[in-house]
Amino acid sequence: MTDCKNRVGRRTGVPALRLKGTGLLLGTALLLAGCGGSPTASNTDAKSTSNAPTAAEKFFTKTNKTPDDARRDALVKQAEAEGQLDLYTSMTSDVADAVTKAFSDAFKVDVNVYRASSETVLQRILQEQKARFQGNDVVESNATEMFALQTEGYLAAYSGTRRDEVSEAGHFDRWTATRYNLFAPSWNTKKVKKGEEPKSWEDLADPKWDGQLSMEVADSDWYLTLYKYWEKQGKSKDEINKLFADMAKGAKIVKGHTVQGELMSAGQFAVTASNYSYLVERLKATGAPVAYEPFVEPVIARPNGLGLMKTAKHPAAAMLFADWLLSEDGQKILTDLGLTPSIAGANDPLAGVDVIPVDVKELLNNGKVWSDRYDKVVSGGEVVDQ
Amino acid sequence: MTTVTERLARGKSAGRRRWVPTPKFLISGAVAVVIGYLAIVPLYYLLWGTFFDDRGFSLDGFSRAYGNSRIGELVTNSLWFAVGAAALSLTIGTALAYLNVRTDVPFKGLFFAASIIPLIIPGILYTVAWILLASPDIGLLNSLIEPVLGPGFFNVFTVWGMIWVEGLHLSPIVFLLMVAAFRSMDPSLEESALMSGASRWQVFRRVTVPLVRPAIVASILIMVVRSLESFEVPALLGLQNGIYVFTSRIYFVLRTYPPDLAAAGALAVGLLVFAMIGVALSNLVGKSGKSFQTITGKGFRPRPMELGKWRPVMGGMVILYFFFTVLAPLAVLLYTSMLGFYRAPSVEAFQSMNFDNYRELAGMNKAVTALKNSLILGVGTATLVMGIMAIAAWMVVRSKIPGRQIIDQLAFVPLVIPGLVLGLALSFVYLRSPIPIYGTLFILLIAYCTRYLPYGMRYAVTSMHQISSELEESAQVSGASWWQTFRRVLLPLLSPGLVAGWIYILVVSFRELSSSILLYSPGNEVLSILIFEQFENGQFTVLSALGVVMVLTLVILVAIAYKLGAKVGLRED
Repeated sequence: MTDCKNRVGRRTGVPALRLKGTGLLLGTALLLAGCGGSPTASNTDAKSTSNAPTAAEKFFTKTNKTPDDARRDALVKQAEAEGQLDLYTSMTSDVADAVTKAFSDAFKVDVNVYRASSETVLQRILQEQKARFQGNDVVESNATEMFALQTEGYLAAYSGTRRDEVSEAGHFDRWTATRYNLFAPSWNTKKVKKGEEPKSWEDLADPKWDGQLSMEVADSDWYLTLYKYWEKQGKSKDEINKLFADMAKGAKIVKGHTVQGELMSAGQFAVTASNYSYLVERLKATGAPVAYEPFVEPVIARPNGLGLMKTAKHPAAAMLFADWLLSEDGQKILTDLGLTPSIAGANDPLAGVDVIPVDVKELLNNGKVWSDRYDKVVSGGEVVDQ
Repeated sequence: MTTVTERLARGKSAGRRRWVPTPKFLISGAVAVVIGYLAIVPLYYLLWGTFFDDRGFSLDGFSRAYGNSRIGELVTNSLWFAVGAAALSLTIGTALAYLNVRTDVPFKGLFFAASIIPLIIPGILYTVAWILLASPDIGLLNSLIEPVLGPGFFNVFTVWGMIWVEGLHLSPIVFLLMVAAFRSMDPSLEESALMSGASRWQVFRRVTVPLVRPAIVASILIMVVRSLESFEVPALLGLQNGIYVFTSRIYFVLRTYPPDLAAAGALAVGLLVFAMIGVALSNLVGKSGKSFQTITGKGFRPRPMELGKWRPVMGGMVILYFFFTVLAPLAVLLYTSMLGFYRAPSVEAFQSMNFDNYRELAGMNKAVTALKNSLILGVGTATLVMGIMAIAAWMVVRSKIPGRQIIDQLAFVPLVIPGLVLGLALSFVYLRSPIPIYGTLFILLIAYCTRYLPYGMRYAVTSMHQISSELEESAQVSGASWWQTFRRVLLPLLSPGLVAGWIYILVVSFRELSSSILLYSPGNEVLSILIFEQFENGQFTVLSALGVVMVLTLVILVAIAYKLGAKVGLRED
């Protein structure tokens, strides 16, 4: 019987199949290789081709110089003629939904939103730009990712009254801050009595928080900024390292700010070193026993910003969106959702609070060094040497 | 016998003279091309990124990935965790499958839920649910038993806790695989052993287990690789006490800018080598041939074994398992989904319960689209993958086509490719493809088919190993064509395995996030993206509500699948 089976097997077009198999491997390899060599090497040709301005860029340059009223009228007219806006953003979905709804209500422009974490938004744009695919008109994301896009040469210049309204700290080359994420200590009000909450960043190193403090595993931007701040205050490196090591000693390390907030409100730990204030604010709004005010100063602010794409298919809609988000109407939506807008309005929740921005440039240039050092801090409270 | 052989040979050689491509040739060829294409695209991207940088060939990625001063500790933790979780899920999954299929254990209805619900609950929710249950500080189980055993008896933030949660979360994969294997087993072998005076335990150890060895090997293979790659459990449970595992590093190196593809690739290549050895070993085990072929020409009806005095004990175990994998986590989800924010159960908490989170969910216009898209993708992926894999399994196990082992190896490759790398590879190819696939639901379908290829293959191959070639041969001798044999003989016999694989893929594709998030476009959202958004919003309670809705939807779907599956497969008395 086995013999019979073998013979049947052997007679079934074997050479052809074998050829097919080899051909398949070769063919796929060739196809991929033909698609432009190394698929993963970093991109260089975008920069070289970006010298000649695109149609969208020409439009932006011209409109940047147009006086306010005429600019607004022209943009509305053209944007509504374009009818569409492709926005890539790392706003959380509730914010993105509110913003796009308000924009579509104000103008006859449909907004298509791609929403993901800031790293993913960046990956998506890099992939699309390298393939010369016009995916988005405008991008709104974290500072680090905006810097990366600017460095790659994908963003067009944006200027005008709206940008000028933003404070100097929010002006960056080719992108403009729209809102800030605030890093501040927060605590569970059931576990931390009134008056006992941390009052300074140094307080977090107090041994009384051992086993009660939580740190996030990847907050190296917070670490870097606080480190530099303390240095400026005249602390020695040894002192600073000891402060961080004391914080990490007995700290509960958590991955992700959301989980951190949830576990803090459930009482898994009492204090969180560096959660975003808006996440804590939202938990508070649902009635959870959490608080972050009075703020521990200085509050550390990480900008999120907006940039116009050189390859925008809908340049007028893109620019109208930028102007609108930086207008009172746009910024109010952010404030209503508990975020910190980049243009301080009349009732600024941060009035009188000392705020320092994250050193985004240092983060981009030496991010790896800082994240490695922070890894060491959180993985067992080792003292890191410079 | 000689006449049969001759007749067959004659028939075949006659066909050969006027050579036209037979359906067998065409179908096998097409299947090989599809598998090769799906696997090679991301593999090529991964390998290129690992070994080449701007300056050409380089091994720097390896030194960045493995050149860590604590590498020894990382590897030890990882292996301990992976082997532990694999062993736990294997023991639980196999024992339950055996009880369910081969014995008259009570509460069989519960198995159905136990086999899929842990799969449906997203890893992050399942893990958080366990923190709320077994954290030494706030765990509900701990506060329940505190009067008896003192505070903090269960501690989920240890390696044992990690093994427990991961093992329980993975056990349904083993359960589904083993159920298919036991269903296809001729009980007369066990009965003869019993008659000859062997004890039940001896029969299980010496007869039953060896007969399902292909399924066991497949389970070990998938479990170990899966636990090595697991991210949520080590991140949420391990980090808190500084238990670092080796492979969650893939996540961290991909998170930086520019993403360190070389280091991530180097880690993935390590896994790949490990997996390749595993696949080769599993084929070696499968090769020893006839000993597992329990579906033979002899007719049999699987008849449940009577447990006798053990019946209540086993029933108790089933209830316990059901409690731990399904009831407790699901209860936590259901409870959380009705609160404004999570708090320990109390009179106040119960008084505050309402359906606001569900209302919010219903008000989300994206939710309906996402559910529809997830359904299309889930059913589409499961059907395509299992269809292709039925044929691929035949090629690997039964045919003598040279290079068939390569198909098996290739089909396993996607298991070790990180989801983000798969997403990058696909967007790289389809952004440049003249066919407009980028930005459509199709690209997600391709991504899902690629990701679940390995599971489909293991499910199909395992079942194929159990079917004796006698049956095919008799069909062919009786004049059936290859296609007829395949459709009328093999497919029905394979169906327990195919249905199990189909269910598995359907369920997990609802959860796929890491490649979906990069590849979706506005209008093509899927449920997992919605879940991720709620998670990012910090809306744990809405997230729990979404989890509950997902569990309900899939339970209904899978119930239908089981009903249909029962119609074509082997029937019990």
